[in-house]
Amino acid sequence: MKQLEVQGLHVHYITDTAVVKAVNGVSFALDKGETLGLVGETGAGKTTTALSILRLIPNPPGKIMEGEIFLDGSPLLKIKESEMRKLRGNKIAMIFQDPMTSLNPVLTVGDQIAEVIKFHNKGISLADAHKRAAEMLEVVGIEAGRMGEYPHQFSGGMKQRVVIAIALACNPDILIADEPTTALDVTIQAQVLSLMKKLKKERETTMIMITHDLGVVANICDKVGIMYAGEIVEYGTLEQVYRNPLHPYTKGLFASIPDLNKEVHRLTPIKGLMPDPSNLPAGCAFCPRCPVAEKQCETQNPEKTEAEEGHFVACFCCQTKGKSHG
Amino acid sequence: MDEILSVKDLKKYFKTPKGLLHAVDNVSFSIKRGETLGVVGESGCGKSTLGRTIIGLLESSGGQIFFDEKDITRPSGKDVMVLRKQMQMIFQDPFSSLNPRMSVHDAIAEGMLIHKICSSKEELEKKVEELMDTVGLARRLANSYPHELDGGRRQRIGIARALSLNPSFIVCDEPVSALDVSIQAQILNLMQDLQEERKLTYLFITHNLSVVKHISNEIMVMYLGQVVEKCGSKELFAHTLHPYTKALLSAIPTVDLDDRREQILLKGEISSPINPKPGCRFASRCPYAKETCTKENPKLKEIWPGHFVACHYVEEINNGQEGEK
Repeated sequence: MKQLEVQGLHVHYITDTAVVKAVNGVSFALDKGETLGLVGETGAGKTTTALSILRLIPNPPGKIMEGEIFLDGSPLLKIKESEMRKLRGNKIAMIFQDPMTSLNPVLTVGDQIAEVIKFHNKGISLADAHKRAAEMLEVVGIEAGRMGEYPHQFSGGMKQRVVIAIALACNPDILIADEPTTALDVTIQAQVLSLMKKLKKERETTMIMITHDLGVVANICDKVGIMYAGEIVEYGTLEQVYRNPLHPYTKGLFASIPDLNKEVHRLTPIKGLMPDPSNLPAGCAFCPRCPVAEKQCETQNPEKTEAEEGHFVACFCCQTKGKSHG
Repeated sequence: MDEILSVKDLKKYFKTPKGLLHAVDNVSFSIKRGETLGVVGESGCGKSTLGRTIIGLLESSGGQIFFDEKDITRPSGKDVMVLRKQMQMIFQDPFSSLNPRMSVHDAIAEGMLIHKICSSKEELEKKVEELMDTVGLARRLANSYPHELDGGRRQRIGIARALSLNPSFIVCDEPVSALDVSIQAQILNLMQDLQEERKLTYLFITHNLSVVKHISNEIMVMYLGQVVEKCGSKELFAHTLHPYTKALLSAIPTVDLDDRREQILLKGEISSPINPKPGCRFASRCPYAKETCTKENPKLKEIWPGHFVACHYVEEINNGQEGEK
C-alpha cells in the first residue's frame, strides 16, 4: 500500500466571471520515505495540488471537483473536518513558501512550536510542550535559549528553520514543502536544504517538494513530476526525467536555464506564454507553445503513456513507443 | 580609452539610529564599452545600492565616478539631464516599477516627452511603436495598463522605457529575478540582442550565478559592501580563489546529476553592515580565517593578470590550483 495516493484530482476556482481550472487530473503515489519534486512555473497548479491534500483550498471560490486522495489507504476527501484537523500538522504537515509571513509576529517562536505540540497531544502539560519545542529548535540548529524571541528578531534563514521546526514538531508522516527556499539566499538555501535532507533521512518522512528550481529538485528528490497548466505532463524517477526528458515542455525547461557547466551563447526559451487557466486550449495545453505540435495535438489531449518502467509522459510523441496507461 | 564607466573608491553610507550602515565601501572597477559587468552577491551585500549610486539615484558618500572620462560624482542639474539620456536603469520588479495608471504607450513615451526628443506627435507615435517592436510587445497592447499584462511583458515595458532615450549604458538591477524560467530566457536573449545591435554596456546586478555567467564578460563578487573577487567570467568559474566565492558556487543546486560536488556549507549568516568591525568582513563565516583576518581588512590585489581577490591567505588556500596556471 502506498502511503499517499492522489488519483485524478481536479480543482477549479469558480468566480462570477470565469472558471479557473487550476488542477486538471493530477495523479501520483508515494511510498514511505520517498521525496517527490513537483516542478512547474507560476500558475501550473503546484500549490493548489498541495493545498488539496491538506484540504486547505479556500472554498469558495476553490472546489475539488473530482478525484480521490488516500492517506495510508483511507480516503482523505471523505472524512469529517474535525477528523481532518487532527491530521493536519500531525500526520501531514506543510512548510509554507514565505517564512516572513507564515509566522505570527506577536507570539514567541517557542509558543508557536509548542502550540502545535499541545494541540495534537491532549493532556500534555505546558511545561512539557515547551520542553519539546526547545528540543525541536535544537534539531533545526537554533539555540534553545532563543525560544522566547519573536520572529522579527530572526533572519530569513532562521525563520524558515522555525517554520520547519513547527512542521516537524509532531513527527509527521508526510511533509509538504511549498517553495521552502525560494525567499532565501543561496548559501542559506544550501544550509536549509542540507538540514531538510538530514531530517528526512533520520525520520523517514515522505516529502513533497514544490519548487520552480530544477536544481533544488536534483539536490533532494527521488521522483519528479513536471506540471504544466494543472497537469503532470511528465513523471518519473529523478534519473529518468533528468537524463532522458521526453516531454517537449520538460526539454524546453532544461534548455531555458543557463547551465553553469555548459557554454551556450544563446538560450533556447520556450516561445509564448502559459495559457490562461480559465480558457485552456481544447487539445494539449502545451500545444500552442510546442515546437513539435501536430494536427491531433490541437484537438485531443494526450493521455499519459509509460515510456519506460515508471516514466510517464503525456505527449503524442511518445505514444508510438509505449503502451497506453490510464 | 575605451572604458565607458570607471568608479574609484566609491562609498555609500546610510545614517541609521544604530550607526553608519556601510552599504558600499571602497568599490573600484571599470567597464569597457559594449561589455557586461556582472555584480553578484546575496541580499544586503550592497549590489543594488552600487547600481543606484552610479546612476545618480543616490548621492555617494565618497569616491569618484567617471562616465566617458568625465567626473559625474556630483553632477549639476543640467548635467543630470544629459546623463539621464546616456545612462538608464532597468528595475527589478516589473510589478511595482511601473505606474499603474499609465498605459503602455504613455509609460514608454514619458521619458521622450520629458527630454523633448520628438518634434511632433507623429514622430513620438512612431518612436513608441518602434520601441514596442524592438522589445517584442504587440502594438495592440499600446493602450493596455500594466495590471493587464504578465511579468514578462511588464519587464519588456521596463526595457522599452530604458531604451527610449537611446542610452549607451544601462544598469540592470535583477531584471529577470521575478520571472519564470521560460520567460527569463526570453528576456535574457532580448537583452543580449539589444546589446549586440546597439553596442550597449550593461552593469548587470543579480544574485543568480548561472544567469550572470551566461551574460557577463567580467564578474564582480560582493560581500557586505566590498568586492571580494573580480575577474573574467570564465576565469571565475574555472579558478575560484576567494573562500566566499567558493562557498557561493558550491551552494548553487545544479541540474547536472553527474555534478555532485562537495558542498561547502557556510556557518552563520551575513553579519551586520552597521559600523562593521575592523578586519575581513567574511572572517566570521570563513573556514580558513586566522588571527590576521579579524584585525586587518584585506585589500583587493591582483593575483593573476586580471584576477583580483581580497583575501590575506589566498595563496595558501589555493596552493594546489596555482600550478595549473
